[in-house]
Amino acid sequence: MGVTKEGVEATLTSKMNPTHLEVIDTSGGCGASFAIEIVSEQFEGKRLLERHRMVNSALAEEMKEIHALSIKKALTPTQQKAQQESSNTQAA
Amino acid sequence: MAAATLNLLSIRASSSSSPSSCTNYSSRITPHISFYSQLSRSTTFPSLSFKLPNNSNRHSAFIIVSAVKKLSELEPITVPSKPDDFSDELPSDSGVYAVYDNNNDIQFIGVSRSIAASVLSHRKSVPELCSSVKVGVVDEPDRTTLTQAWKSWMEEHIAVTGKIPPGNESGNGIWVNRAPRKKPDIRLTPGRNVQLTVPLAELIDRLVKENKVVAFIKGSRSAPLCGFSQKVVGILDSQGVDYESVDVLDEEHNLGLRETLKNYSNWPTFPQIFVNGELIGGCDILVSMQEQGELASLLKK
Repeated sequence: MGVTKEGVEATLTSKMNPTHLEVIDTSGGCGASFAIEIVSEQFEGKRLLERHRMVNSALAEEMKEIHALSIKKALTPTQQKAQQESSNTQAA
Repeated sequence: MAAATLNLLSIRASSSSSPSSCTNYSSRITPHISFYSQLSRSTTFPSLSFKLPNNSNRHSAFIIVSAVKKLSELEPITVPSKPDDFSDELPSDSGVYAVYDNNNDIQFIGVSRSIAASVLSHRKSVPELCSSVKVGVVDEPDRTTLTQAWKSWMEEHIAVTGKIPPGNESGNGIWVNRAPRKKPDIRLTPGRNVQLTVPLAELIDRLVKENKVVAFIKGSRSAPLCGFSQKVVGILDSQGVDYESVDVLDEEHNLGLRETLKNYSNWPTFPQIFVNGELIGGCDILVSMQEQGELASLLKK
């Protein structure tokens, strides 16, 4: 009885109010390992460390069962937009 | 002295790559090789043992077959002048190599996991001493075989010239890269049985404040035991930054560190990287910061 991808998504959605959220179960089904990409207004003005802390504390309950949580991206909507534009121009 | 003279001759002879001079040289040097084989255990020539009837029985037990040819049997390769040519001209395999200066004197005998890369780094740091190289690729490069090959070349060189190559003398730091990676990990206590007079948290506090960059990792910096720690070590090495490392799995010298550090930093996982006394984060954060180019500027501060 581990944590599910849906469970992590639900918790993060309710606590972080993300504009973009991607949770990938990297455990192969046992629910012990997740990778996350998250974009939220709440990250505005916060350092990367603080952003990761916010995600970790939002998932405090789940973390008891999760062995590995990899936060691939923790961006503000503005940053996400900037990144998308730069990658678009690179592609073009 | 005669041996030293012959060696010089032999190198010149083989570098001129004319067949006649090579034959000439090998016939001349043979008596000296057999002399050397009496002293050395690493001789690779079973044929020599029958030339030494008095000693063959005693020595046969010690004969270790070396994985590489003898130095004297190899042709030197001119060190390429362009970095791009190194991987074409030299093998990128594991093995031993001997670097010759433009007087055809051996400057250094080294062991490498990539001969081309090692010679390239020598060429960059001491171009004036890297004229040509002889290389011996080791097919099954475990540590013992590599060391044995290196020893056989060193012994051969010493037997012929009576000297250690200048670059292999102790205290010569020109050739051996004393990279920060080789720095020992920091141990917070002398051992688990020693009673601490200062709480562990205070030791951590001092450590991260007195050192610019400290990485708490699983395993040692030379052999990290988890992928994330390995990545962190790789990133810090690639930044060329001088950093300290602490093995959080070392129960002998860092007993209780994991729990204490988690509380100290309020961060649940390892590795943890501190810069200027402040937690930067774990592997993910370090990777992100490197991608964004923020890491280099942070480390410069």
